[in-house]
Amino acid sequence: MSTRIDPTLAVDLRKFGKAEDWNECFHCGNCTATCPLSETGFLFPRKSIRNIQMGLKDKISTGTEPWLCYYCGDCSDTCPRDANPGELMMTLRRYLTSVYDWTGLSKKFYTSKSWEFSAIVFFFALVVALFVFFLPPSQNLFNGNNQLLINEQGGVMINSLVDGIGDTQFVQLIEYGDWTMALIVASLLISNIIRMWYKVILNDKSIKISFFAYIKEFWRLITNFLVQPKFSKCDKKTYWVGHFLLMSGYTIMFTVIVVFLKWFQTEEVFDWYHPQRLLGYYATFGLLAFLIYTFIGRIKATDQKFKYSHGTDWLFIVMLFLTTVTGILIHIFRVAGMPLATYYIYVLHLAVLVPMILVEVPFSKWSHLAYRPFAIYFANLKKTALAKQN
Amino acid sequence: MAEQKPIGIYLCKSTNGHADVLDITEVSAYARKIPEVAVVWDTTDINLADVSMAASKIREKNLKRIVIAGDTPGYFKSFFALAMVAAGNNPTDVMLASFKEHGATCFADTDRAKAILYCAVNDIPFETASLPDDTEVHPDTLVIGGGIAGIQAALEIADANEKVYLVEKSPTIGGHMAMFDKTFPTLDCAACILTPKMVEVNQHPKIELITYAEVTGITGDPGNYRVRILKKARHVNLATCIGCGTCAEKCPSTAVSEFDAGTTMRSAIYIPFPQAVPNKYVIDEEACRFFTKGKCGVCVKFCPVDNCINLDEKDQEIEIKVGNVIVATGFKTFDAKKTEQFGYGKYPNVVTSIELERLVNAAGPTGGFIKLRTQDKKGNWIFQAGTEEPKSVALIHCVGSRDENHNKYCSRVCCMYSLKLAHLIKEKLPQADVFEYFIDMRAFGKGYEEFYERIKEERVHIIRGRTAKVDDADGQLLLRTEDIQNDKILEQKVDMVVLAVGLEPSEDSERLSEMLSIKRDAGGWFVEADYNTDPVGTYAGGITIAGVCQGPKDIPDSVAQGSAAASKVLQSIVKGSLKKGVNDVTLNTIELKVTELSTIEEGK
Repeated sequence: MSTRIDPTLAVDLRKFGKAEDWNECFHCGNCTATCPLSETGFLFPRKSIRNIQMGLKDKISTGTEPWLCYYCGDCSDTCPRDANPGELMMTLRRYLTSVYDWTGLSKKFYTSKSWEFSAIVFFFALVVALFVFFLPPSQNLFNGNNQLLINEQGGVMINSLVDGIGDTQFVQLIEYGDWTMALIVASLLISNIIRMWYKVILNDKSIKISFFAYIKEFWRLITNFLVQPKFSKCDKKTYWVGHFLLMSGYTIMFTVIVVFLKWFQTEEVFDWYHPQRLLGYYATFGLLAFLIYTFIGRIKATDQKFKYSHGTDWLFIVMLFLTTVTGILIHIFRVAGMPLATYYIYVLHLAVLVPMILVEVPFSKWSHLAYRPFAIYFANLKKTALAKQN
Repeated sequence: MAEQKPIGIYLCKSTNGHADVLDITEVSAYARKIPEVAVVWDTTDINLADVSMAASKIREKNLKRIVIAGDTPGYFKSFFALAMVAAGNNPTDVMLASFKEHGATCFADTDRAKAILYCAVNDIPFETASLPDDTEVHPDTLVIGGGIAGIQAALEIADANEKVYLVEKSPTIGGHMAMFDKTFPTLDCAACILTPKMVEVNQHPKIELITYAEVTGITGDPGNYRVRILKKARHVNLATCIGCGTCAEKCPSTAVSEFDAGTTMRSAIYIPFPQAVPNKYVIDEEACRFFTKGKCGVCVKFCPVDNCINLDEKDQEIEIKVGNVIVATGFKTFDAKKTEQFGYGKYPNVVTSIELERLVNAAGPTGGFIKLRTQDKKGNWIFQAGTEEPKSVALIHCVGSRDENHNKYCSRVCCMYSLKLAHLIKEKLPQADVFEYFIDMRAFGKGYEEFYERIKEERVHIIRGRTAKVDDADGQLLLRTEDIQNDKILEQKVDMVVLAVGLEPSEDSERLSEMLSIKRDAGGWFVEADYNTDPVGTYAGGITIAGVCQGPKDIPDSVAQGSAAASKVLQSIVKGSLKKGVNDVTLNTIELKVTELSTIEEGK
């Protein structure tokens, strides 16, 4: 079989991150050997550097290696050539995201700031417009019937802030919106994962994977999605802890909002120990802890992991921060019984949250929530298949 | 000066791609002060697409000559030649002042750039004007450093019947070569080659050997230096000590042996090794109880020679006059503790190559048997005879070399000495597994590639891949490496790990470079006058460098440089005069020289 060389691969990759250093590499293998996650059969980062230097585009786009790396930075710290192998793996993850994405938007968002900002501004304006035209604040806010919006505990009856359309209640409308958003995101991610599966598994004619193996290895998908056991193998454990706080906090929030909105967004303000509030507090804590840690890390830029922040990295944490802060404010205003402030901050919250989800999850940094567990799943399928064949 | 010829200067900016560039503003200001110079243009004053405009500018000032100054002035020559013709002048009156070509590239070279410009203005070749003057030379020579390069240089000069002072910092000459067991690739016994030369140095009537001493100051001019030397108190009379060793036997204090690379202990009064030259004892003040605690004197009591040991002896400074100085200060090995991932200092059986050199040496701590480091009764980890041998040994190349985190340069000798050590281990422990982990195998010299092939045939496992870390694994050492040629991760358990440490300039090189006005490169090595054609000369007149202090090199190359330095010195002594160095050619001397040369030309 012939191998196709793409001489411009290195030039293309440069758009996805700070990566002019990899030509420094003299292939000593230190990075691969120092990495606790690299193993025979899945050797990285050095082999990935080699593939780029050789212009082996197909090998890059059909490999899972970049997703097996969690960027602890040990390789870059000890690299005798300062070739930045860790940052290269990060760059490759961005590149692969754009390779899997059939819409081509991912590449646009990663390589052009104006595209990404425009998309965010567009969705922001869309959400605001939807509220202005279809979900204006309830008349009770302005005709002196404020007390109709305050419950027995003195908090804001959040679902009465908007009158709703026809017979459909406000909370129901929001839930429909959530489902629409989830459906869009899920269908984009699933279609991209099918493309990834095609590239990684089906393209590789050297292995045959039985249906049984798919089922047998399926648990890896779940565990790697939920607790990232591979990440915890890195020498620097704080990264894993920070990531877990964020991930668990966000997953809880996402689940209650998309699946259990009616349980979460209630008229009544419960006592602080009510599971609804406890879950919210945990999620808030997790998000804030991660955000503060990451902001400090990226500003100081001393750790390898935080040294070369891409524009999309900043945008991600800024959007997440705004979402978290507006979310906290909703809670405060609601408990304090400030109906109008609650309404405005609610609109703002959604106006930040929706673009963040629609841009970051299918097309940008956040897509790794799907690609990474699947890459580990596919890699293990390959590994077991190879072990069987040999 | 005869008639005033108005001259125009076209001055280009210097852009060498670095931040450190010539100070062109200062050069420009200097140019305006030269009397003949009527105008100084910079690149914005002349439109290089318009010859007639340039010609009118030339006519306006009535210029008779143009000097183009810059990094590549030749590029503009044809333009100005055309402009000169258009202005009715002679096109050959366009002179070039080429900064880069004549070695003015950075801020520190601004004076040199001025001199280059001055020569061009006066139409005198810079090479002629910048030639250093000759000066009378004192026939005596000082060699700093008594390693193999210094010994070679001293012997070459002394054999030509000229006086040599050989100053050595430690109590014995011999340097690092005396510590080695065998040399590569011939596997000759290092001591058998070196010790006769050491003895010859000591006995040579023309060599004055000054050991345990340091050069503390140098004054005077090239060819006539006055050098101050601090002779540290040895406390043992060199003339009367018979080297019986009674003092060392009775001495109650101990210290780590430098000669055995820290693998053994010695007494505070000691000779570094049995073949030391001079073979006389010395007291280590830092370890001696008399100097640390204030009372002892056991050695004085037991010494069989009267008044031989003098505990009250003080450091003594002497001054000598020499014409030439040869610097051969050698190197120190890289401190393996800096590469934390290999666990040197943490795991007792991670050793450096120099420790292994002593271990395989028949005069070493175990009598030449390769043993694991084990705990003695007091709990110290030491090499001792009669203990367990390693069943597997791994050698890691490039420790501290070719590494952006430590030294960027290749230390040049480690590949070959590692192969040699692998051979010696195989020779002494034929059943042992020996692994070599390398990045690139640099077998560059005569017979080296053949030696590499030979070691491969001896079934040493030679693996391409830099070991990333050494960990403890049930009392053994676990190495994790990417085996690049076989496309897999290797996790190898071994009993002993040898770190092939690189070379670094010796501690004194910074002090010496300032004292002697010789430059050091980014790695700290002394800079030669010309990389290709004058590898032992320096910019300082009468100062030559030899051996590893100029850059990492092996024994044959060090010896060759020792001889080369000696020949350079002898050349000046035979001729009776010495060329001053580039350091002595200042802007002022060049200006004077140019005036002198112009007067001669006019007189013709």
